[in-house]
Amino acid sequence: MADPHSHPPAHGTSYDVTKDADTPGGLFAVYLVVLLLFATTFFVSSSGVLGRYALFVQLAIATVQAGVVAYYFMHLRQGDRVVTLTALASVFWTLILFVLFMSDYMTRHRVVTG
Amino acid sequence: MTPTANPRVQGVPGLTPPPPEPPPASPNYLENGTSLWSWLSTVDHKRIGILYLLTISAVFVLGGVAAGLVRLNLVTYNSGILSEDAYNRAFTAHGVLMLFFFLIPAVPAVLGNFLIPMMIGAKDLAFPKLNLASWYVFLVGLVFGAWAILNGGIDTGWTLYPPYSTRGSQSSVVPGVVGVFVSGFSSIMTGLNILVTVHKMRAPGMTWGRLPLFVWSLYATSLIQLLGTPVVAITLILLGVERVTGEGIFDPAIGGDPVLFQHLFWFYSHPAVYIMILPGFGVVSEVITCFSRKNIFGYHAVAWSSMGIAVVGFLLWAHHMFVAGISYYSALLFSFLSMLVAVPSAIKVFNWTATLYRGSITFQAPMLFVIGFIILFTVGGVTGLFLATLGTDIHLHDTYFVVAHFHFVMVGGMVLGYMAGLHFWWPKMTGRMYSDWWSRVSAAIIIVGFFLTFVPQFYIGYHGIPRRYPNYPPEFQIYHVLSTAGASILGLGYLIPALYLPLSLFYGEKAGANPWSATGLEWASPSPPPVFNFDEERMPVVVCGPYEYALGIDQLGRGLPEPPGPGGAEGPAGRAGVTGPAGPMQKETEVVG
Ligand code: HEM
Ligand SMILES: [Cu+2]
Repeated sequence: MADPHSHPPAHGTSYDVTKDADTPGGLFAVYLVVLLLFATTFFVSSSGVLGRYALFVQLAIATVQAGVVAYYFMHLRQGDRVVTLTALASVFWTLILFVLFMSDYMTRHRVVTG
Repeated sequence: MTPTANPRVQGVPGLTPPPPEPPPASPNYLENGTSLWSWLSTVDHKRIGILYLLTISAVFVLGGVAAGLVRLNLVTYNSGILSEDAYNRAFTAHGVLMLFFFLIPAVPAVLGNFLIPMMIGAKDLAFPKLNLASWYVFLVGLVFGAWAILNGGIDTGWTLYPPYSTRGSQSSVVPGVVGVFVSGFSSIMTGLNILVTVHKMRAPGMTWGRLPLFVWSLYATSLIQLLGTPVVAITLILLGVERVTGEGIFDPAIGGDPVLFQHLFWFYSHPAVYIMILPGFGVVSEVITCFSRKNIFGYHAVAWSSMGIAVVGFLLWAHHMFVAGISYYSALLFSFLSMLVAVPSAIKVFNWTATLYRGSITFQAPMLFVIGFIILFTVGGVTGLFLATLGTDIHLHDTYFVVAHFHFVMVGGMVLGYMAGLHFWWPKMTGRMYSDWWSRVSAAIIIVGFFLTFVPQFYIGYHGIPRRYPNYPPEFQIYHVLSTAGASILGLGYLIPALYLPLSLFYGEKAGANPWSATGLEWASPSPPPVFNFDEERMPVVVCGPYEYALGIDQLGRGLPEPPGPGGAEGPAGRAGVTGPAGPMQKETEVVG
């Protein structure tokens, strides 16, 4: 008994773990993309070219970054259907957070006096 | 026991004879290394469960001492014992210890750790080392908590509302916040472990529809832990940052938004109350079927209502903020959504009640605790609806009514559920039976003491006495005295198990593999179980649903042993006598799986 706490696949399925493995080059390319997007955010916020729309662009870039990290680094690319569904569910759950927060912040009526 | 030796089985067609008593495990998990190091370095889920048990029991004592100080102080109407400042620190210590360091880990980390692998027929959790790490992380959190307390304590209340917590408070907010933050990671680790284990490591035949309801409830709990805890972690960091650097996040004087803190805090902390109660629901489902010898009524409804609570529980947090300055529309919305969560909770209560109907009920300690749970939780849940109603909450918010409400659900509900689980699985965990008489006495004392403590608080809360104040009008003194008297009885009730449970380790009768004649897989292996739970050669193969008491078979399809078990008819496992003999019986109930 080598490692009593390891659990081999129950049904004897053998699959090739090298098939979807990350390559250093691939990982590095993704990393570069993320850095590039970061540089864009930095430029957008410090130069002020987009004025009041900068925030939206920054948020959009951040979303893309998060997506790329999840897809490649967090291995959603190799995930089966349960994993993909779980990831989507967590996006939906974040949506709940924002929508219900906004149900408060967007419906406050402040009376401005003076 | 041969089939014919069992008079009830004999002649009843279709009933399987009970299996022979399995030989004691050698070594069992307790004997597999007895040095301190063998415990501190263990990756055995059962030992880690025991480590958690010891840790949180110590926390429970500390939290109880703090509660005792609060209650003693309230005997006089002018804060006769503690200074006002010390009083603030006492109730905060009570809340922080009991919520973050006792109730949240109580059932998932103790009973969940111990039982989930056994119930699904696995050797261990999916990540045994992560499991051990979670305990150490918990200890680190606890050390920070202890630091905060030894350093004078925290005076903000467990809710840590800014701006007081970031600007005004002179107490040890930062170490306390770090403690809660760190312990959150242990909660995440436990949740993750349970989720993966349930997905990946079920024994052959253990389909989702055959999972014991305890597993379903912990699955739902783990989802909440995984989704919610990171949010409170970030919130606490923001709080710490504002307090340390003076950066305006929550404090309106420096450009922050205090209501934002409450949103973020309750976005976790309301679901967290379901982290606390859902595991208790799981225990109730296991115990109530066993002690009424009936299949659970509405297996799928009970299982899905756990998932429903996990989801809906995330949609109601702002019912804690009705008077905090949120918009009226939002308050209306959250009031309505809060009503919704009563539906799955009620589904459970109705199904448990229906399970009792025409059952062959016996009243050993686990069952007494469970009956207490159902009654007290129902009171707590219904008063929750009063609070969820926008109009009444404006009157009741931050009064003793709220205090009584959540103690009914958390102490009357969850602590009793934890006690029920501990008493139900104690023979499995230790291989010993405890005193039947004393355990029943303690259950009775706890329930009586509980009522006496918290019913007066509903009354004074309804009459407007705010919570967290050490002073109150003299005419209300009698109710506080009653409440303190009840708390003393409650304390006595907790003291008794603290004596007979440890004593049972030395003097208790040896327990068989299945002393309660229950159906789950965990009862198939000897008590205490071997290191890898089940026979190395023959891993379990599940053939039916979890509660086939009607057919009188366990999940492996074997007959149930004939009660009474060890201890004779008078022992804790003895069923004959109270409401007549129990055992396999034909009942018209749903067959699951
Ligand atoms: C039947 C479902 C429930 C409903 C509708 C409900 C509703 C509420 C509401 C509206 C409040 C806020 C009262 C106020 O501050 O004015 C509240 C407070 C509270 N509830 Fe519940 N509740 C329910 C079940 C539970 C459960 C199961 C638990 C815990 C196991 C729990 C624990 C708490 C706690 C700890 C507080 C007070 C938090 C604080 O301010 O310190 N509730 N509940
Ligand atoms: Cu709540």
